[in-house]
Amino acid sequence: MTLSASAGEITRRTAVGALATAGLGFALFGPRPAKRRDDGRLVLDYWEKWTGLEGRAMQTVVEDFNRSQDRLFVRYFSTAGIDEKAQITIAGGAPPDILGLWNYNLPAFAETNAILPLDELGAEFGVTPSIYSPGMAAATQHKGKFWAAVNTGGTVALYYNKAHFREVGLPDTGPRTIAELDEANRRITRIDNNRITRMGFHHREPGWWVFIWGYPFGASLYDADTNRALLNSPENQAGYDWVQSYPKEFGLTRLNEFRSTFGNYDSPLNPFLAGKLSMVIQGPWLANMINAYAPDLDYGVVPLPVAESLYDPARPIGLVDTDILTIPRGVKHPDASMEFIAYTQRQDITEKLATVHCKGSPLATSSPQFLATHPNRGVRVFDDIAKSPRSFLVPKTRAWIQIRDELIWVFDQSWNMKGDPKDLLARAQTKVQGVLDNFELQSRRRAEGAA
Amino acid sequence: MSARKTITGLAWISPWLVGFILFMAFPLAMSFYYSLTDYRLLESPLWVGLANYQRMLTDQTLHLALRNTFLYAAISIPLSVTIAVVLASLLNTPRLPWAKFFQMAIFLPTLVPLIASTMVWMWLFNAEYGLINRLLSTLGIDGPAWLLDPNWALAALVIIGLWSVGQAVILCLTALKQVPTSLYEAADIDGMGAIRKFFSITVPMISPVILFNAITLTIGAFQIFVVPYVIFVRDKGGPGQKGFFYTMYLYDNTFIYQQMGYASALAWLQLLIILALTGLMFLVSRRMVHYRSA
Repeated sequence: MTLSASAGEITRRTAVGALATAGLGFALFGPRPAKRRDDGRLVLDYWEKWTGLEGRAMQTVVEDFNRSQDRLFVRYFSTAGIDEKAQITIAGGAPPDILGLWNYNLPAFAETNAILPLDELGAEFGVTPSIYSPGMAAATQHKGKFWAAVNTGGTVALYYNKAHFREVGLPDTGPRTIAELDEANRRITRIDNNRITRMGFHHREPGWWVFIWGYPFGASLYDADTNRALLNSPENQAGYDWVQSYPKEFGLTRLNEFRSTFGNYDSPLNPFLAGKLSMVIQGPWLANMINAYAPDLDYGVVPLPVAESLYDPARPIGLVDTDILTIPRGVKHPDASMEFIAYTQRQDITEKLATVHCKGSPLATSSPQFLATHPNRGVRVFDDIAKSPRSFLVPKTRAWIQIRDELIWVFDQSWNMKGDPKDLLARAQTKVQGVLDNFELQSRRRAEGAA
Repeated sequence: MSARKTITGLAWISPWLVGFILFMAFPLAMSFYYSLTDYRLLESPLWVGLANYQRMLTDQTLHLALRNTFLYAAISIPLSVTIAVVLASLLNTPRLPWAKFFQMAIFLPTLVPLIASTMVWMWLFNAEYGLINRLLSTLGIDGPAWLLDPNWALAALVIIGLWSVGQAVILCLTALKQVPTSLYEAADIDGMGAIRKFFSITVPMISPVILFNAITLTIGAFQIFVVPYVIFVRDKGGPGQKGFFYTMYLYDNTFIYQQMGYASALAWLQLLIILALTGLMFLVSRRMVHYRSA
């Protein structure tokens, strides 16, 4: 049958071609049905960043959840570069059902509506910010909304080698202030044949938080109310002056040569585990490495040493650096995703996972047994930091990664004595403020366009 | 040619044509469009005109990355080209014992996955335990902390790059084998020395391959990414950011900062730089490259 062959009218070939193209497009780019198993259980895909021991522990939680009910079946996927991949899949309309992120990802995901707010959904399942300790609760919120649950509590403190402290005649209670840390470092550091063979403290190990040096001096990096970066504050400058004081005192070449003897973090050659370094800033997870590779290491944990005037044992200063669970935009069954998340927030489940991870619990209260039997002997210190009103998060702004990268540059230049920290921070401040202003401008333009 | 033949011809090449349109032309066009927008992947693109290109003028991190990349290219390309020619000439020595073994040994590094070889190089360059400093110490030289010292980081990267010169060597060797022996015989009769023969016969005769190597090495140098990224991922370019290159900054803007618009503009600038340098090389080499007639 010929529909028509004359110009301007639809031919059968054109119609079939158009239908085929539409069908192909629908098949390739159309909506995906929710997945179900043969037994009728709804399948939920859970992307998480953990691998190894931490991944296996979370896999166990997932399996426990799958056994605990017969409606949902969660599949655990260990995903490298999770935040980058998640943005692409969310933009492409095919997100995982549950997404594990870091707390610093939250502003970027929340402000672009890449994840769902959990104020109402979470409340239905009893998950609200009030269940967490203050530091952790802050990590779940952004601009007045609740966006994420916390699946393990990560804070950062100072590990120290008690035996080294005793050896040089220092009390093995650890340093409380920067001055005490410096004094301990001088006493512990050994230099043989112009080479450092042991050191008290080295700012580049592990080098994961090179933006925190101002905080022990009372700095803050960002004022969210005014969208102003605060990188060039005198307090932050004091932090980077302190960083630079080490290469000035011990010699950059010697420090670099010493650092080149450090092995990987997760190996017996980790300098703290190997006894080369007596103090290191780390998260609770380091205890897993100690228990695995150096079980006889006599270590202690104290909050970040601070300037003398800021020392207050009841209100320790420390970074909250934690893992969060979110529900991406575009999921088919957010209530099912929330049901799984709520399961992970049960005190027994949270403490079970945190114990294997060697971390503290993110919840406001911990069971006595959890604290008493925890494999990390510093768990109470990490717990105190999470509960402290002076705990801090990285700045809650989408521009955080750029701020961090600028501070990596400031740190590197300060360490390599390529400039005065004051000048370096002034340059970084100008650049970062430009980025913040641009974010604000584009957000305003988008809002105006939407209106 | 009739329309029917044209259609048939197009149908035969349609797999390539469709692939080119879908995976090259369309992304290229979209990338240019995005370079004129503020685009953060999870939000719709916002038209900003030439703002991304204007931003490049004042972006100090970009200037640093450009400086490092040009410096790396300026050192590594001439070195690689020269070493490739020298090694190929040595391999072309008549009756060279173990010739096949040496060819294989020189080419093999290009087959090793970059990440694996980079991990090995990191240990080789280790200041305390590294083989390189151990060798230097036997000569009485106190080797530097290669990958931790701002003065040596770039040198280390150049050395790592030279390790993969095998492909250029094989191309040169192939060209060398095609140089007519009669030219060398004539030179012998004229009493030319080895060095004179090398510069007056060998180099001109393989000059098209040298130019090809120079162009491909230039493209490679301006796209250097994996090695410095693996070594300096935590420090954003290593000591003094000497190992922070253009493509790393492009990657950061794309996947870390999610600034797809600015990243697209950076990609176009990179393309223009490579095109300009390639064009310049063709221009400069007009009188220097000798193409044999068929």
